[in-house]
Amino acid sequence: MSSRRKSRLKRAGKNELAPADIVDGLSKEELLATHLDWQPDRLEALKGLLDAKEPWPEHWHWDWSKKAGLLDFMAYRCIGIECEGRMQGLMMASTLARSSRVGPTGRAVLYVEYIESAPWNLKDLVDEPKFSGVGIALLEAAIELSEEEGFGGRIALHSLPQSEAFYRKYMTDMGPDQSHEGLCYFEMSAEQARLFLEGGK
Amino acid sequence: MAIETTKRTMTLNLTDAEMQVLETLSSQKDLSKTAVIRQALRLYQLVDHRLASGEKLFFEDEAKRQKELMMI
Repeated sequence: MSSRRKSRLKRAGKNELAPADIVDGLSKEELLATHLDWQPDRLEALKGLLDAKEPWPEHWHWDWSKKAGLLDFMAYRCIGIECEGRMQGLMMASTLARSSRVGPTGRAVLYVEYIESAPWNLKDLVDEPKFSGVGIALLEAAIELSEEEGFGGRIALHSLPQSEAFYRKYMTDMGPDQSHEGLCYFEMSAEQARLFLEGGK
Repeated sequence: MAIETTKRTMTLNLTDAEMQVLETLSSQKDLSKTAVIRQALRLYQLVDHRLASGEKLFFEDEAKRQKELMMI
């Protein structure tokens, strides 16, 4: 069963905050319901890009329904952020500790497998995104999960090229990882996590 | 996996050698002993399921060009 705690999202283009809920420990059913809710908007936006001969975002093929099976295992946890009755972003994390490569090496790190904003919040898909700050809120949730797991707030992920500049602001860029299709590996140390949380609150 | 908030306590009887391994992992990974045991459970559940599904577990050393099948 999932649990909720309070958060906020910024209405894109407006200096206005909307109350939101971090939904921790999403079930398979909740993940599938989100996938079904997002799919029509995603397909419509992609069709628009196709008609306009614009490039598609690099993660256009992500299918959360195919990731739902991971939730049969204790090693995975899915967290969402909900606002105005709809899930505005999703994150799948592995709570099976990876080894840190930054700072003291070999320490337990929480690995973020997937992180995505709802299609109506993506600048690549829509002209006027509805909410901003979804990625920040989910990174905060990842750090909190890392702390809860006893990993000291340390988190890591591989970034798609389109998102590298975002992660570079908060995490250490360890460069392309050939074992992961050449995607850049980013890690946030315990100290970087502390600073991130202080800056976000 | 959906979160389970209720926690249960159990006593774990370990040999000196097993406790030594637990303490070493706890120190190396900067994790509590409970967290190390949780990690072991998660890994065991995942690996056991995949092996039961007919998959195999390998360790690979690219530099030495060695691949070793783990018989579990």
